[in-house]
Amino acid sequence: MSMQALNQLVARSIVEPNIVKSFASGQIDEMIGDLEFSPELRKRLAGLEAGTFAEFAMLAYRVVKAAEVPVRRIELPSPVEGLLDDQSQSDSEQVA
Amino acid sequence: MIPFSREEREWFLRNLARGLVEYFGRAEPPVQVEDMLLQPPPLYDADFGLVEMYSNLWDATFARPPSQRGSIFVRSDLPTAERRFALAREMLSALITSKHGRAMGLPELLLPHLRESAEYFARYLLVPELMLDAYRKQGGKKLGFADTFQIPLQIAAVRWAD
Repeated sequence: MSMQALNQLVARSIVEPNIVKSFASGQIDEMIGDLEFSPELRKRLAGLEAGTFAEFAMLAYRVVKAAEVPVRRIELPSPVEGLLDDQSQSDSEQVA
Repeated sequence: MIPFSREEREWFLRNLARGLVEYFGRAEPPVQVEDMLLQPPPLYDADFGLVEMYSNLWDATFARPPSQRGSIFVRSDLPTAERRFALAREMLSALITSKHGRAMGLPELLLPHLRESAEYFARYLLVPELMLDAYRKQGGKKLGFADTFQIPLQIAAVRWAD
């Protein structure tokens, strides 16, 4: 969700001058306050030091990307396991 | 400026393209790039001119004569798909050099990689991610992709693989 909010902010910035003006006047924290960032992330984004809005956006991308919770991989057992009983497994191991 | 990776730059360009497509409210291909230039957001009134020219030198190029409106000068005899891609590509130069683009800091970020950035931007302006996803979900194949989005075949091949 945070990355979607950042994508939306950057997308709007190319046609909405108030976003860049907010950044230039040091009020980007108010702008991102309206978006769906966690309080911790909002604090980190507001603290970014950048000379331009484009630079801010790129640094924000790094921060948001790093903060994204990786999707947990579900570890399934091998499909072979469970098809063979213990005796069959030990037989095949012996053959091998 | 802090150095940024190509992946980071491409993320930024995708969102610039998305912002323009959303502004114009286009939901289905083909994206009307020429309409964007003829009826630009008010922010770009001084940047999105279009001038037809007879030339064999370039397909299109953006120029901003001193104290005048910036315009894309495009060859008048280009096939539709080539013309659309050339206009979309040169639109990035119009954005970068506009008053708003300079205020955003676009020149520092994008000018060092202009050609590569402009072609990437054009691919995403003409084929936005949402439209490509919808095309694929509706069973759209690579074969009719270039025709549907009205882009050159070689650009379609690159965008399909992006």
